[in-house]
Amino acid sequence: MGYLGEIELEPSFQPFAALREQFGMVPHVFRAQTLLPGMIEVEVKLLSAILFYEGALSRLQKEFLMLMLASAQRNEVWVAIHFQMLRLLAVPESRLDQIMAGFQEANLSSANAALITFALKLGINGESVLKEDVTGPVAQGLTEESMLEAILITALANFLATLSIGLGVSPDFAPRQFPRVEVIRIQAPGQLTGPFLLASGHSPDDFAPFGWLREQFGFVPDVFRSQMLRPDVVESEVEFMRTVLTGPVKQCIFRGERPPLPSVEDGALLDFVAKLAEQPAAFGREDIESMRSQRFSDEQILEAVATAALSRFLRTVECGVGVAPDFPLRRNFRSFEPKKVHLSGSDNRHTATTLLVDPDAEWVARVQGGDLNAFEELMNRHSQRVYRTLIGLLGNAEDARDAMQDTFLKAFQHLDGFEGRAKFSTWMVSIASNTAIQRLRERKPVESLDDDFESEEGFRPRQVQAWTDDPEQLYSQTEMRSLIESSVMKLPAKYRVVLMLRDIDQLPVEDAAAALSLSLPAFKARLLRGRLMLREALAPHFAARSGSGAKGVSTHD
Amino acid sequence: MISCADFMSEIGNYLEGDVADEVRAQLEHHLSHCRSCTVLLDSTRKTLTIVTDTGSFELPETTFRPIAERIMSRIRGGEK
Repeated sequence: MGYLGEIELEPSFQPFAALREQFGMVPHVFRAQTLLPGMIEVEVKLLSAILFYEGALSRLQKEFLMLMLASAQRNEVWVAIHFQMLRLLAVPESRLDQIMAGFQEANLSSANAALITFALKLGINGESVLKEDVTGPVAQGLTEESMLEAILITALANFLATLSIGLGVSPDFAPRQFPRVEVIRIQAPGQLTGPFLLASGHSPDDFAPFGWLREQFGFVPDVFRSQMLRPDVVESEVEFMRTVLTGPVKQCIFRGERPPLPSVEDGALLDFVAKLAEQPAAFGREDIESMRSQRFSDEQILEAVATAALSRFLRTVECGVGVAPDFPLRRNFRSFEPKKVHLSGSDNRHTATTLLVDPDAEWVARVQGGDLNAFEELMNRHSQRVYRTLIGLLGNAEDARDAMQDTFLKAFQHLDGFEGRAKFSTWMVSIASNTAIQRLRERKPVESLDDDFESEEGFRPRQVQAWTDDPEQLYSQTEMRSLIESSVMKLPAKYRVVLMLRDIDQLPVEDAAAALSLSLPAFKARLLRGRLMLREALAPHFAARSGSGAKGVSTHD
Repeated sequence: MISCADFMSEIGNYLEGDVADEVRAQLEHHLSHCRSCTVLLDSTRKTLTIVTDTGSFELPETTFRPIAERIMSRIRGGEK
């Protein structure tokens, strides 16, 4: 039926029962995901919270919005479903055709016409949404809850459209001719001055989904905070994320960073997700086949499709509520093609995109405006990274803790001069690195941080025994951590700090290089050297051994 | 034909997925008959996985909190 494999599920599979109850059948889009029943389950929860739930908007209104969106996107699968649904809700076919042909002339109530206008703009051309697109209808009597539900329905429509394209399913009902809803495309992007909606007074601290987000991303992205009029929806979104975003690669996709260890396969995965989410019209069966030829399983491809759908969903909500994107896929698109970056100064790479996505910008502005407490938040966000920079350069925990105070006080004193040309995190790391370098200079003997070219070439690996298949099973997490920490500490400072920022703190290469004032090639050369030296140090502990009883520290050396 | 030294000089780019197709083909051809480079690549990959997954060098909250409080009291004391 679709591109991917399917299996037969128990007739009692609850999510299918829920879909049958709502749609009168189980749409192909969901049947095409039976390889991962858990994912269907969380998708149905998302549908329940957004579409099936009768809140500020009625089911009828929601179905209308989704029909119009599907038609504007020429998505036959979803036009067929919503058309059928509206027929079941007793709307005559002729009335549906009339509205699709031109809703402005169809004598809709002004509220319904305003909702459709808004949803089409957001769904088709989300980046152009302006504050007045959201506040205008509210001023004319629509509630904030209605607007939020319209945003969510639009996001859901984009989510479902992405699934249907990625899975390659055929329409559930005979294709019919339908007029195309026309949307005027505006080139000028709206400038985000959101959030456009007031969130309710729900206290974020005791809200469990926020805890998970904080754990994953280090902060609660604005897109979730701004939906707190409907905590139940946020809950189902987070549940979906927990199910879909499992591997580190996928989390990187969402954080807009390159994976810590981008293999060829990770690159293919990123490009696949970005293409489906951002250029769905160009997507087709050959993209699936190309993933299969790289030995991705159908389950993995299905997860990648769901990741793209999730990305579309969140992006739509971000545009609708007017918050800067925390999950920019675009930065990753084509990031795996060989590229030559010229990195002389640190300014030329910091484009407007970088500015837009700096998650700290708001807090920096608050401190600059005199809110001292906001500085504490900035410290909380960056304490780990600053600490790792310091310990990376200084080589012991005590000095690193000691230098933290200097670092943050310096940052505070100079914050007025911070103009956002670099990301705040990069700026912070560069202050930490300067603080540490200053301390190193006061030490005797001084450890060189410069490149000495004689030794760069001469590195030869000595440990060439094969490693055990699953090194992480060999030691407990605590043992592993102390093994890594002691091995890293033995590296020379210039390799240690690079490894610390890139591999342990997982800063993007470009940001880490800029923070240390290194050219990209120099940074990469040190990184490789540091990784190879670390490999050398770890090798005796992970050598594959024949026979059983592989546990314990190797007697090598 | 490429040597083990050639492989070594490209291993970083190869790990980052940052090599042209024909270079990649050459490297993979080399891998197909060179055991020590295969081991080197595999163990470097595993090193990276271990290092990234372990969450080392974490500053415990209990250590950071007093530091943060000291900084905040200096700031509030009108240091700006």
